[in-house]
Amino acid sequence: MKGAIGVRKGAWTEEEDVLLKKCVERYGEGNWHQVPRRAGLNRCRKSCRLRWLNYLKPTIKRGAFQEDEVDMIIRLHKLLGNRWSLIAGRLPGRTSNDVKNYWNTHLAKKVVHHKLDEDDPLGKFAAKANIIRPRPWTFSKSSAWFNGKATLVAPRTPPGGNHGQPSPVLSRQDKESAWWENLFTDSSSDEGQPDARSWPRELSMEEGLNGWNKHSFDADIWELLGVNPEAVIKP
Amino acid sequence: MENSTQESHHLRSENSVTHESPYPLYAMAVSSSPSRHHNHRIALGSFLEEYTNRVDVVSFDPDSLSIKTHPGLSFDHPYPPTKLMFHPPSSNPSKSDLLASSGDYLRLWEVRENSIESVAVLNNSKTSEFCAPLTSFDWNEIEPKRIGTCSIDTTCTIWDIEKNAVETQLIAHDKEVYDIAWGEARVFASVSADGSVRIFDLRDKEHSTIIYESPQPDTPLLRLAWNKQDLRYMATILMDSNKVVILDIRSPALPVAELERHRASVNAIAWAPHTCRHICSAGDDSQALIWELPTVAGPNGIDPMSMYSAGSEINQLQWCAAQPDWIAISFSNKMQLLKV
Repeated sequence: MKGAIGVRKGAWTEEEDVLLKKCVERYGEGNWHQVPRRAGLNRCRKSCRLRWLNYLKPTIKRGAFQEDEVDMIIRLHKLLGNRWSLIAGRLPGRTSNDVKNYWNTHLAKKVVHHKLDEDDPLGKFAAKANIIRPRPWTFSKSSAWFNGKATLVAPRTPPGGNHGQPSPVLSRQDKESAWWENLFTDSSSDEGQPDARSWPRELSMEEGLNGWNKHSFDADIWELLGVNPEAVIKP
Repeated sequence: MENSTQESHHLRSENSVTHESPYPLYAMAVSSSPSRHHNHRIALGSFLEEYTNRVDVVSFDPDSLSIKTHPGLSFDHPYPPTKLMFHPPSSNPSKSDLLASSGDYLRLWEVRENSIESVAVLNNSKTSEFCAPLTSFDWNEIEPKRIGTCSIDTTCTIWDIEKNAVETQLIAHDKEVYDIAWGEARVFASVSADGSVRIFDLRDKEHSTIIYESPQPDTPLLRLAWNKQDLRYMATILMDSNKVVILDIRSPALPVAELERHRASVNAIAWAPHTCRHICSAGDDSQALIWELPTVAGPNGIDPMSMYSAGSEINQLQWCAAQPDWIAISFSNKMQLLKV
């Protein structure tokens, strides 16, 4: 009984290869979940697909990697790293599995050695700078539409999630200065301290449905532009 | 769509100078310093889908309307350069011309009288095993030691090219970053495959501000241009879109205007360097359009002021401050200078 003890694992026999090949030739690729049944194989559906794509498919290039292919692999690996499917994408007829195996058996040691030699001249440029992920402030689109004023909403949480805490709220003491006014100053203070005029980041928690205050600019931006809002926006 | 308004006109074809290159072109830069004894230099980057590409520096003489090539002013570049830029105009004219290119790394080149030498390869990869390709960069005009690069690894890196060191690296977006533009000495903006335009201030690296997001979520924004004459305005283009979106940073989330007269995807945009309300766009419809942004738009949208039809799809557009009368475009193997 097929599958009674579980599917077969390990190396594929010639008979299994023939069964699989005939099945794909008859039914085409795809619908891999039906292949074990159709082919009469005691193999997992994933295994069937991989066997076909990596070994049985007629478009696969057999034979050793040519010089130009090896050259391409080295260059692409330098650029892309261990992204084998991307590298194989640029080598027609080669599977990502083959590329990966070739790299690990032939090239990995060689290239690492070479890199260590090259490292010193490039070393002085490799900075140990920390990478910072700024959290973005967004603007409420609906408010802007209705009264022509942009309203500042709480910072959007990055895809990583907010660790289960309510979002902090931006409350601004100084309503006169719009967020953009502080962008273009001649302040000579270069690092660290925000400009004295920039709004203080007072974070206060808010209960309630919305969870945040909506502050609108006092300055009517449309007045500054000197136009009727409907006229400028394309209908 | 024909322009029926009186103001629009076609750029006359006799007011153009053409240079034909042996290979397809993409990146292009116009030197801002008309320095000393050579005419305006233009750097042209090839676009060959192979490792070895080429950058040639030609010179343009606006009086004789000619473009001269210099066999010595040419060098190999690994992979097609995604962007080329000359050093911003500096108060010190005796400095030799510096050219920056982006591709696998940010590279600096010195353009001398008869040769070009490599000055630096700026590599921030800590493991030095592989790098993340750079999609674009921008040279800060106010603080010329700063160059900001953007990459497919979602980060923007700010380089100090006097020390050849990284000043800051920020994870700017959720997906690949496609373009970056300086607004001021410490402020820059970037666009990404995540569909947002974000503004960053180096004084407050913990926060950024999203001033626009593409209406269909995750429609990539490909290019960004910040109006240097009026920093309130920016322009961006969406992937596979014939629209140029004009943004006012004072009223975020809603575009101030959408310029929709191209008949195919827009590939490049450039604000006029000498006026504050003109912008040029070019695209796959082989057209370069110059627009004047009105204070009030008509009900049918905004029509371009001028249009020019090139021989094929236009991939690149540069409007240099040193030559406000000329717009440089590139399509297939050719580079053309159009007199405005």
